[in-house]
Amino acid sequence: MGQIMSILATASEPDAADLPDDISFPLEIRLHGRGGQGGVTCAKLIAAIYAQLGLNVQTFGDYGAERSGAPVRAFTRVNRVPIKNRNKVYHPDHLLVLDAALLGPQLLDGVAAGAVILINSPEGTTQYATTFADYRFGIIDATGIAREQGIGTSTVVIINTTLVGAYARLLDLPFAVLEKVYTRMGLSDDLAAAEEAYQKVQIRQPVNGMTEVPVGGELAISLPTVKPQTEHAEDIPTQLKTGNWSTQLPGYEDYVAPCNSACPAGNDVVGFIQALKKSGNDAAAEILLRTQALPSVCGRVCPAPCMSECNRRQMDGAINIRSLERWISDHAAFHPQAQEADQPYALAVVGGGPAGLSAAYQLALRGHQVTIFEKEEKLGGVLRYGIPVYRLPEDALQRDLERILSLGIELQNNHPVDTLEMERLNEKFDAVIVSKGFSDAYTLAAAGESLSGIEQGLSFLARSREGEAKVKLSGDLVVIGGGNTAIDCARTALRSGASSVKLVYRRSRAEMPAIAEEIEDAIREGVQLLPLRQPVAFRGVGQVAGIVLAEVELGKADADGRRRPLVTERTTELACSRVLLALGQENELDLLPETWQVRDAQAWSGDEPLNIWFAGDCATADGTVTHAIGNGRRAAMAALASLNGTKPAAAQLQQAALVAPAQIRFSHFPILAPHQDRHKPLEEVRKSFEEVNLGLSGTAEAERCFSCGRCTQCDTCLVYCPDGVISRCDDGYRIDEEYCKGCGICVAECPRRAMDLNDKASGKE
Amino acid sequence: MPVDLISANHAAALAATLAGRANRTARGFCSGVYPITPSTECMEYLCGQQIEKGKVVRADSEHNAMGICIGASASGARSFTTTCSNGLAYMVENCVAAAGYRLPIVMSVANRTMGPPWNIWTDHGDSLLMRDLGWLQLYSADNQEVFDTVLCAFKLAEDPRVMMPALTCMDGFILSHTTAQVEIPSQEQVDRFLPPTKIPHRLDKVAHTLGQIETPHQSVAHRLQHHQAMLQARQVYAEIQDSFAEIFGRRPADPLVGYRTEDAETLIVSMGTLGVTAERVVDQLREQGQAVGSVRVRMFRPMPDEELRRFFSGTKRIAVLDRDVSIGFGGVLWGEVRGFAEPATIVQNYMVGVAGGDVRPEHMLNLLAELEQRQESGAPQIVEVV
Amino acid sequence: MTNEPALNGMALTERDRSEPLLRAGNSNCGGCGMSSLLQMLRRAAADRELKLVVPACCAAVTGGIFPESAFSIPTIMSTFASAASVATGVASVAQLNGEPTRVICLAGDGGTYDIGMGTLSAAAERNEDILYICYDNEIYGNTGGQRSSATPAGAWTTSTPLGKQKTKKDILGIMAAHRIPYAASVSLAHIDDTLRKLQFALDARGFRFLHVLSPCPTGWKSEPAMGIELVRLAVRSGLFPVFEVFDGERYLINVEPEFSGEALMMYLSLQRRFRDSGVTEENLRPNIERYWNYLRLMSGRIVPARRDI
Repeated sequence: MGQIMSILATASEPDAADLPDDISFPLEIRLHGRGGQGGVTCAKLIAAIYAQLGLNVQTFGDYGAERSGAPVRAFTRVNRVPIKNRNKVYHPDHLLVLDAALLGPQLLDGVAAGAVILINSPEGTTQYATTFADYRFGIIDATGIAREQGIGTSTVVIINTTLVGAYARLLDLPFAVLEKVYTRMGLSDDLAAAEEAYQKVQIRQPVNGMTEVPVGGELAISLPTVKPQTEHAEDIPTQLKTGNWSTQLPGYEDYVAPCNSACPAGNDVVGFIQALKKSGNDAAAEILLRTQALPSVCGRVCPAPCMSECNRRQMDGAINIRSLERWISDHAAFHPQAQEADQPYALAVVGGGPAGLSAAYQLALRGHQVTIFEKEEKLGGVLRYGIPVYRLPEDALQRDLERILSLGIELQNNHPVDTLEMERLNEKFDAVIVSKGFSDAYTLAAAGESLSGIEQGLSFLARSREGEAKVKLSGDLVVIGGGNTAIDCARTALRSGASSVKLVYRRSRAEMPAIAEEIEDAIREGVQLLPLRQPVAFRGVGQVAGIVLAEVELGKADADGRRRPLVTERTTELACSRVLLALGQENELDLLPETWQVRDAQAWSGDEPLNIWFAGDCATADGTVTHAIGNGRRAAMAALASLNGTKPAAAQLQQAALVAPAQIRFSHFPILAPHQDRHKPLEEVRKSFEEVNLGLSGTAEAERCFSCGRCTQCDTCLVYCPDGVISRCDDGYRIDEEYCKGCGICVAECPRRAMDLNDKASGKE
Repeated sequence: MPVDLISANHAAALAATLAGRANRTARGFCSGVYPITPSTECMEYLCGQQIEKGKVVRADSEHNAMGICIGASASGARSFTTTCSNGLAYMVENCVAAAGYRLPIVMSVANRTMGPPWNIWTDHGDSLLMRDLGWLQLYSADNQEVFDTVLCAFKLAEDPRVMMPALTCMDGFILSHTTAQVEIPSQEQVDRFLPPTKIPHRLDKVAHTLGQIETPHQSVAHRLQHHQAMLQARQVYAEIQDSFAEIFGRRPADPLVGYRTEDAETLIVSMGTLGVTAERVVDQLREQGQAVGSVRVRMFRPMPDEELRRFFSGTKRIAVLDRDVSIGFGGVLWGEVRGFAEPATIVQNYMVGVAGGDVRPEHMLNLLAELEQRQESGAPQIVEVV
Repeated sequence: MTNEPALNGMALTERDRSEPLLRAGNSNCGGCGMSSLLQMLRRAAADRELKLVVPACCAAVTGGIFPESAFSIPTIMSTFASAASVATGVASVAQLNGEPTRVICLAGDGGTYDIGMGTLSAAAERNEDILYICYDNEIYGNTGGQRSSATPAGAWTTSTPLGKQKTKKDILGIMAAHRIPYAASVSLAHIDDTLRKLQFALDARGFRFLHVLSPCPTGWKSEPAMGIELVRLAVRSGLFPVFEVFDGERYLINVEPEFSGEALMMYLSLQRRFRDSGVTEENLRPNIERYWNYLRLMSGRIVPARRDI
């Protein structure tokens, strides 16, 4: 309003003298618009402007049976003397087009050279320069302005008040005239839009040399014959092409489900669950195995961030994605086959843990020669030596390993790689993927840590994995740590004969990084949780006999969002005969020559990049199997891209492309509690190393998947389309653009945001 | 042919019943009816008939009685109803629709004064409301004529060259409640006279719409077609008279019933039972040596203009007796027919028997005496009779 | 367990009617509830023989300009108050001729609640063999948006510039009082229920009445895309009860609302017709409760089954 006031301040009382010199009377104005745009009011507004200037006016609409969106016309006539004409306008001096989609030869009917034309269009004047060379014309994106100002609905935008702003400018009228007219007509809310149009309208003068004046308004000499009603009994379908009523068109588009976006391995979660639902285990496996080298493993031990992000959590519980993955890996017969590579490369993978296996798998799938160098006797790394068998049984691991090796990968076991060997591999192979995992485990640096009976959890787990006979425990045991290794240690200790197991963690239970279900299982089996305790010293003579625990209070949140533990002076002592440390591991890349450095997970010799890529924990320290798998795959792809001289496909996710819970129509889905995993009875598992979790009993859980952002061909759009213009086609649905009115009900009703409404003018929003 | 003693209301209903039965081999008969004095007996009689493939729906209003007839006729059935006065006025909107759809519905009207103030006695003002609505209009003067006219109206309305609704009128009470002899034909004869109803644009299997939106140009064309079809009804009626005579052995009355008009210097022009009284007056005056004749207008729509001109040719005086008042103008019949008289003819309008007054020959004689004195036409006169 | 594909995938299969009842290229506004209804009616009707009677209303305009037809079935456009009587004639003749034709009246709220009420009541009393569908957009839409007796309290119309004061007529109560074989309200947001009711109503004999809340973006001043969602909100909030009445006696509640204030608030805020009248969730609540108490009494349903919808 401030701007408007300033314009007002400089204006004197307007009258007809403010009009351009070349304006002649009677002045006839014709408007072409669509029902709902406010065309008739627009004509009335224009009349009011001329009335304000002291002229005689008349204005009227061309009334018919038109509906919102259908083409309509309105007229305004202006004269210095009383108007004695009651006809429509056939030879307009001014032509206003409220929707550029109406432009066509008929529109210019009777418009002589030199006439004034105003078009509502987001295009520039050059777009129309040829068509309207003989006219003085203006272009304004009134729809854009009015939509921005919230005039009308987003589908049916009322643009009249905006357009008149541009019209006033086209005639060089002072804006003050509009201010008065709008206020009198109760439209002062729209003045801001009018002023914006007044400022923004692009105007082009006529080019001399009129070629042909379209004539119009002649009396029709021969009218078409009209059949008598008494003879009319035939079916003649309507011909109205309603597709040009709208400015928007719906379309089918894939958006990213939060599970897919959250999966560190880059699995197409929605894809494999929907395939499982529709086509069964093998079809699901085919999709899963594109990105996932170790589904049997991940289906058991993945922390499943996909489930934390699952949109169904907002309704009745996340989809049990992890167990569906397990189901597929346990039941599918599908085996991927290695393709033929156009240009096969020889690649070395150092370390046969999850990252290395994933990298090797992806490379071998694409037909490359892969050799894995593993320092231990058997493949698997942390999978084999860090995860107890009751969580990841040997045969499950073996199934994944065999599938990987069956692609023709060469295994060099008992083959540690040191600096020299690294240089040799760099020479011999086209590229090397280093995925050696974490190095040494952290210690506590507390007094008495060297006492006998205090052991690193990982080495305990490795010993245990060799065979339960090797590890026999008794007495009270304390595990220190809150991650999966800590839980694994605690539960393994119980199974190995410890009479009691306590787990000491310095933060609260909610902040334990271990998988929540694992914590629950541990408690169920008898592990006692001691959160908010920090070990400060170990007691004992030679052999550990007790542990001093300081109470912890939680302070302000750290950078990672977790509250910082503050160790107090209050301590208690806890008697025990054995302690397992599960505090995490260091990350040391000690196998590179001194002249090499690591930048962006790649080795460099000075300014020269080497074909050595790092993957998994040694590169990222993410610490989960799933991250390692994803990272291994991406490292393999980066290596291949580098060898091929291409760039790896950027996996940039735009936040707008992610399906938010608000975009899911929950009411579409019947409430259905998640299918829980089956477990062995507690008394059976507490002392046994058999697998505790039996997984799902079927695939019904897949039915619960919303399939966020991806069309399931659920027919909702088809059934709800009020005009029946959606039909099935080979790959989904087709929208008949010739008739679609762009109401957007299909988009609003899509249960899963697999559709969007796009502006026709700008292609896509 | 057997003769029955029945009221004119019953004669109309009986004719409709026979016509309805005659369509049993086609799409049947369906009618919506609603009572109003003095047409009630007609609907009552109809409700008492057994009509094979026929149904009489007792509607909740005249408006809906016509609605039901429209639905029935649009489905190809023969359809008939009866009403008058305010009932007709209430029905008018759907009467407009019936004509607009070009459906051959027949309606019997026992003419009655419009109210309030309430008045149940006869007046033509009710059916004349329908003058411009695209309905054929026929007025009868005795029981047999009522019977014959209803049968003819079906044939006329359903003729493919005409195809539009028809109104058959009789004076309320004076005729509707008069019992007299009526020759009743056999069903077989009626079957022969009225072939199965064929409505080419009826709602059948093919998708098309009746009564939908039109552009101005289309509506003009349809008005023109309707108008031409109505004009053609005059010729079609003549054919129907022949066919009627052949089957039933008697000839239905002409559109204009002339009585001793050959050398008449004075003509009485009227509609309905007034015309019968007029004929008595003509006889009386002829005995006195006056050259008087009568023209009874039976067919009001289409107006038989050529015949009127013929009757009016050479006439010195015309008394137009209207049983109606177009307030602020004069008699409707007078307004319609005066233009067909020659310029020198004195055409005087007497609105007589309005709102149920009993017009006796003496009244007419007085009026004619007044007319004889006239040197020129005067303003229309409303004549009060008891 | 799952409701996909919608309507068990019957749309556009051999179980569907081969041609839409309302053809593409009709002149209804985008997002019109009556259009949605006709798409559902198509699916319910399948290959049944139909005839349509339409009084003066938006559907009479949609039908198309002479001689074209937007409806794929024989149709007659009746006068405003006469749909049920014209349909009586059509149905009677069909019956006389032993034809399987199902006669449907498709009328707006003006032609049903107001000017056509007497006609409707009479046809219901005679128990004519007609399926009468009222698509209720709570406004005289065809004339530009004036109040009808179906306009809810608090709604702005061009003839109630300050918002309507009176609540809308209980049309189903009125129809149930006629003891007709079947009367039901239909929520376009509950397609399975809609399909079932349309199919039942098409096949039942005697007078059947369906009341369909029909979103009107033009009259309600709402986003065309939100039409179905508005119906859903009306149902969820309890504002539009979805139930059926058999023989005027047996009441069956089909969708149990959650009576959520949030849904009611959303319903009001998504329509600009409610913006300036001061109507709020709170002042609608007592009427909703009163009506539901009545419905519970009639249906004998004391404890609502909790079911989110």
